[in-house]
Amino acid sequence: MSAFEFTVNVIDPIGLHARPASQIVKLVKGSGVNVLIGREGENLVKANSPLMLMALKIKTGETLKVSIETPDEAHAAELVAQVQEFLKG
Amino acid sequence: MSSVLSGMGVGLNAVVAEVFQVAPAAALPAWAKSSAGADAESSVLKTAIAAVAADLARLAASADETTAEIFEALTFLLEDESLFDMATAHMDEGWAAGAAYGMAVNEFAEMLAGDAAFEERIADLQDLSKRVQASIAGIHVGLDLPKSGAYVIVGEDFSPADTAQFTPAVVGVITVKGGPTSHTAIICRSRSIPAVVSVAGADEIAAGTSVLVDPVGDRVVVGGSLADATKPLEFANTGRDPLVEVRANIGSLEDAEAAAKTGAVGVGLFRTELLYLNESSQPSVERQRDLYASILAAAPAGPITVRTIDAGSDKPVPFLNMPEEENPALGVRGYRLIQDHRSFIEDQLKGLEAARVATGREIWVMAPMIATVQEASEFAALARSIGSFKVGIMVETPSIAALVPDLEGIVDFVSVGTNDLSQYLFAADRMNPSLGALLNPWQPGLIRTLERIASQAKAAGIYSSVCGESASDPAFAVLLAGLGFSSVSASRSQVDAVRAALSAVDESQAAALAKSVLAAKSAEETKSAAVAALSAL
Repeated sequence: MSAFEFTVNVIDPIGLHARPASQIVKLVKGSGVNVLIGREGENLVKANSPLMLMALKIKTGETLKVSIETPDEAHAAELVAQVQEFLKG
Repeated sequence: MSSVLSGMGVGLNAVVAEVFQVAPAAALPAWAKSSAGADAESSVLKTAIAAVAADLARLAASADETTAEIFEALTFLLEDESLFDMATAHMDEGWAAGAAYGMAVNEFAEMLAGDAAFEERIADLQDLSKRVQASIAGIHVGLDLPKSGAYVIVGEDFSPADTAQFTPAVVGVITVKGGPTSHTAIICRSRSIPAVVSVAGADEIAAGTSVLVDPVGDRVVVGGSLADATKPLEFANTGRDPLVEVRANIGSLEDAEAAAKTGAVGVGLFRTELLYLNESSQPSVERQRDLYASILAAAPAGPITVRTIDAGSDKPVPFLNMPEEENPALGVRGYRLIQDHRSFIEDQLKGLEAARVATGREIWVMAPMIATVQEASEFAALARSIGSFKVGIMVETPSIAALVPDLEGIVDFVSVGTNDLSQYLFAADRMNPSLGALLNPWQPGLIRTLERIASQAKAAGIYSSVCGESASDPAFAVLLAGLGFSSVSASRSQVDAVRAALSAVDESQAAALAKSVLAAKSAEETKSAAVAALSAL
């Protein structure tokens, strides 16, 4: 399975807190594809658990790596754009 | 026959109704291993999670939109896949379903701990954990509030899941625990439900007893009538200027603009942290100058007191590296950041000086979390080397409160932050719901400390003010003037109420009020002494 990788910026003043985490999980579950999120250089976590995302303790101003396992690049780009939107706060 | 229980009032209206005691739920069974096997336990857990989810959905269906969103968020946590996976690992070790879920929740709570943004989520998770375990044990946890009639509900404290179940029959609320900033207090304030929190002994009032909830009087009167309710103080319009200057607390451009529409003379506390929370890297001096200049230009006429950055590991600024700490309130915060971030504090002062020059405003600067006279003189020298400021410090630590005479000739002013001073003076965490009563500003221990700060500052020729939350209470502001403070600074919504109170008294009346308050022996007595003096005007 090919995966597309992107970076997103956490702009939300509270960081990656419960609300954006839930929004991302809802989006990922609805899309039916595997999405991994995390800091560059660290283990990425599966974005199907809001608690795992919150436990990363991502703060405002951090840059995140998003890996999307799908053959459809346009779909991946669409998903990541929404993830970025959720992280604007 | 009536008896009075004291607490802390929320709201201005009183109500009389019958007490409805919310029964504490039965104790959950102790965690145990199971002989049924992991598969059987797993299906028990699935059933319980589904049952709790169905309860939440049922509550959401009868709730307003905001509350329904809270339930949806709770359901998301409840059904979290990783949480279930962790619980499965414990069931594989032989634990029963309830124990396995409880352990998994504790592990996530541990992972999320130490971050202020997640404190409420941890409370939510633990609440869900109780619900799931109760469902497995067949214990009922709903509040079962009456849907019609009018009741004052009494309980230990209410969680978001609890307050979301409040029916229209809830006309008053009493909690045994919790402080003025507890979830219960915030919800009651926003829904205008009269409440008194932190009322010891309220759980012993018999169900069906009629009580008066008297938030202005900070009390519950068993058998009381509305005629007994304490009236909010009203002050005659004398047309005089307030006894001491009333400044405004601000933290943003919007605050500055709103404060300028009040009668505030200048700003007594400009919290600068907010300006940096959205910056991913340290802003340049020029950018800080522009940010400050727009706010300084909009602020109410008069001197503007700017507090240098007051961040810590519980209130982190993204571009300053702040390692997590065991006790953030006692850690590297406020002026202590200068150890590792001197250039940031210097740049902040440079940006402010440039904004001062650009706007022509009078700027006072002060540093938070000063504990020694050496720190005060170091900050004063630094600030004076950078700009034409009046220089002062916050008085928040008991150590500097004991050293005010030694600040003579070192600083131009001191400003007391009563919220933090209370926290450190009483060794009572501001975040702990069980300690609300110790953080009541009417505590004699705080008031006598304030008296000493004001009189010693006056003797040392140092201008003194109070910018903590307490100065937003009109009666407390009169007390502060009577104790000898040179000005008070209130939240912008309270500026005009505080001005009205300080315009209604003269110096000798305020001094007499302070004298009677200083003679009182408890938080209830100090407040009633002040209210009595003001009512007699």
